[in-house]
Amino acid sequence: MKEERGPWYLFTGLMLGAVLGLVYAWFYAPVKYMDVSPASLSEANKDQYRAVISAAFAANGDLPRARARLNLLNDPDPARVLAVQAQRALAEGHPEQEVYALGLLAVSLSEGEAPPNAFPIFASSTPSLVVETATPSPEPPTATAEEQLAANPGAGTATQRPSATSMLRPMTPTPTQLPTRTATPTPGSAFVLAERTALCEITLSDPLIIINTLDAADQPVPGVEVIVSWSGGEDRLVTGLKPELGLGYGDFHMTPGTSYSVHLAEGGEMAQGLVSNECETRSGNRFWGSWSLTFSQP
Amino acid sequence: MTRWFFFLLSIAIGAAAGLYYGWVVNPVKYLEASPGSLRADYKADFVLMTAEAYRADENLDLAVQRLSLLNDASPAESIALATVFAVKAGYGEADLALMQNLADALHSASPTQESSTP
Repeated sequence: MKEERGPWYLFTGLMLGAVLGLVYAWFYAPVKYMDVSPASLSEANKDQYRAVISAAFAANGDLPRARARLNLLNDPDPARVLAVQAQRALAEGHPEQEVYALGLLAVSLSEGEAPPNAFPIFASSTPSLVVETATPSPEPPTATAEEQLAANPGAGTATQRPSATSMLRPMTPTPTQLPTRTATPTPGSAFVLAERTALCEITLSDPLIIINTLDAADQPVPGVEVIVSWSGGEDRLVTGLKPELGLGYGDFHMTPGTSYSVHLAEGGEMAQGLVSNECETRSGNRFWGSWSLTFSQP
Repeated sequence: MTRWFFFLLSIAIGAAAGLYYGWVVNPVKYLEASPGSLRADYKADFVLMTAEAYRADENLDLAVQRLSLLNDASPAESIALATVFAVKAGYGEADLALMQNLADALHSASPTQESSTP
């Protein structure tokens, strides 16, 4: 007796093959994107990319170039993203230089220019850069480095590739040993506590310690690290991360009943015994008061 | 026998369709790429940024740490590749000098400096 099974086995074969093909294409040998743009980076890698952009900006003060680089990340509001990253970096204990650079670029983007006193040390030692030639181009390059490498397959390591560096030897500047530098917001005199005022501002929704940092010319100084401490705790903030409130502005939310001390990370005078006082409006409404501190360079 | 032939043929056709769908129509999308996957011009600019920062802070460890994100054989390799691209793309002399400065610093550093990165 002969069994009639029909053409269903063909359908079974097609399905089996399709499943095998998809498994192979998606899991075993997925398409690899080797030439992605910075916008495709993971969030953690974007943070690192922004940190490097900021570090380069802190070194050369070239805002158009920094802006062009940031645009590659497709952030909706680069200044805000940088400010948030700066605060996060500060909270996570990243190096002070990194926090400063991120904050500086955030402020500069918001203001449309770099703060006048932001590059006290780096600017004089940085050569001028050619923006047109080095700003990353979104257009595909005419020849990639991989193609260069393919043309020279014997070159396995950098030491085996003298051509890449030897081409530049004549342009190498005379090495000059520079002094060890620390990225401080402003050189010169240490900050002193110039003003300490209790505020009863009902417009402030929460009790705050408001800090403003000014230089000797009464110009706001961004990127100054401030330490707020209290019994059993400590927090840090950096001025200038809320550029809409001022380049030298920083604030800290107080808990009523807690006594706070504030000083700058670089040292100097400390404001102690900052407690949120109870205030009252004319109509009898009670609310918690704030403090305003101004640190300035004499 | 004919039946087996058509069965295997249908599997092959199905597999081809699956591969076409998985590789062309709807390939795996990488939204979590690493700096090592960047296009050559972006990599070159990343190296330039690192060189710019290094020129100011002279922190070679930090520069090496940043270059290692590019996942090349070594930081020196990253600079070499970037330099090749930069020369080809017509980067300015000042930029090339910055990259060269970093390459020189890396070269003059102790061997452990270079071998400490993957």
